[in-house]
Amino acid sequence: MPARNHAQWTATPPLKGDEWIDSRIYSDQAVFDDELERIFKKVWVPVCHESELSKPYDFRTFSIANEPILVTRGPDNQVRAFLNVCPHRGMLIERRPSGSFLEGQPSGNPKRITCMFHAWQFDLKGNCVYVAREKEGYQDRLCKEDVGLRRLRCEVKFGGFVWVTLDDNPAVGLEDWAGKPFECLRKTLEAEPMEVFHYHKAIIETNYKLWHDTNSEFYHDFMHYHNRVTGFNDAYFARKNESFEHGHVVVGTFEVNYQNYEGFESRAGLSFPHLPPNQWYMIDLFPGFNFNLRGSALRCDIVTPLGPNKVMIEFRGLGLKRDTPEERQTRINHHNSIWGPFGRNLHEDLIGVTGQGTTMRPGTEPRRVLHGRQENQTIHDENGMRHYYDEWGRWMNRLPNDPEQPWAARAEAQPAVAAAE
Amino acid sequence: MSWIRVCAAAEVPANTAKKFWVAGGIPMLIVNYGSGFRAMPPVCPHMEEPLEDSGVVANCILTCTKHLWAWNLQTLEMQGETERPLQVYEVKQEGGDVFARVDKEILYDFEKDDDMDDDAFFNKS
Repeated sequence: MPARNHAQWTATPPLKGDEWIDSRIYSDQAVFDDELERIFKKVWVPVCHESELSKPYDFRTFSIANEPILVTRGPDNQVRAFLNVCPHRGMLIERRPSGSFLEGQPSGNPKRITCMFHAWQFDLKGNCVYVAREKEGYQDRLCKEDVGLRRLRCEVKFGGFVWVTLDDNPAVGLEDWAGKPFECLRKTLEAEPMEVFHYHKAIIETNYKLWHDTNSEFYHDFMHYHNRVTGFNDAYFARKNESFEHGHVVVGTFEVNYQNYEGFESRAGLSFPHLPPNQWYMIDLFPGFNFNLRGSALRCDIVTPLGPNKVMIEFRGLGLKRDTPEERQTRINHHNSIWGPFGRNLHEDLIGVTGQGTTMRPGTEPRRVLHGRQENQTIHDENGMRHYYDEWGRWMNRLPNDPEQPWAARAEAQPAVAAAE
Repeated sequence: MSWIRVCAAAEVPANTAKKFWVAGGIPMLIVNYGSGFRAMPPVCPHMEEPLEDSGVVANCILTCTKHLWAWNLQTLEMQGETERPLQVYEVKQEGGDVFARVDKEILYDFEKDDDMDDDAFFNKS
């Protein structure tokens, strides 16, 4: 293909309408604002793992769709989620990323969630238990019972992950939301307690969907030398991308030949329960969460979109809680050698999406981004992304390849073959 | 259990409070209010503040400095805005030692229990 002029470059590609998208879905502020409102405030989000709240009074803070959230384990061992917002004057209650309410703080009582601003206090069930100088200021007009925390739906499920939704009445319960894609690993993840052994995060200038796209397509194996030498064989290419309701995708397993890569060892000795040795499963959940099991270690990616061109990705590595110190160290080595910040693969993936983010900054010319590979839904087929954007279009009421158009305009906007300029 | 030696009287000077462990694991605060001793659980009945740190003893009054709950240590009367009584162990001095009478550990009840089903909770108006 010769180089193209502007008209040619911006022409509709010769693919079906669902085989490419318009890059404004990655760069437009209005699209981003809609995503928070229409998607992230409605879905179930895995926010952390229960092993990160191992003791009563442990907590973690994070955000969903800009709403600050606090997750705690109560004295009754139940994990609960609350808006991390004081009902008095809207102060952020807990400022630490994680910690425990068990011990007192300079501005907080033991076993209480305390807002440092005016010393209002809450118990681990969200009851307000103390309003400073309550009677003097409010007489009988307002009392503690009126000012409890905002509690959020929260469940621990699918191997101990903590799930939260901002929607009190979600369209589907958590089991119906993600039970089917988790089926392939459910027995494995629920066989015994797991534990997070690795955490790091990356804040990068790209759109969160580009990260999920990368997790959903394996065609970019060409960027991963490691994958090519340990894996490219018939079984590798035969793996299927299976689509599930609600925009989720699962990539089936195969046996990785780690011995093909110098310095790498088989993961067989530390396989997760109920799995044959050296398997590799991947679950991609709409709208941007990924569970990736490689033999001896589970990786989980959680995205927090921060802007059209900014995303925080939290990476966790998990093993079995009962690991001996030696087993744990081996698992960590296995995890980090592929997925650590200096591993074989992860930084390459980050280079990929950062490069995309650089070409799709807000204000750049709309580009056509292709995901039209059709290979019988096997590993280099891009049906996972097509399935995702089909779901995305419905939730957003926007066409992925023309985001100014409503989803209903889909049929008209899908020419079988592009009209040439 | 009955009378247990907690400490030497000299270990807790006037107008101070000190925490001890007795009977193999019961925490006990001994308070010297000048004209006598009191023995009690080492937490404020309000919000479980550690009274050894947050309590101030003066003029026979024990005040928890966190939210100003206070009690007269001689009469155990509640002072000001205090909403819950202080619970104490019976105490006596013999020779140079302080003894407390412990039948069982005194524990304040702090947690309310009013759990309801998630669907019921998130659908109430």
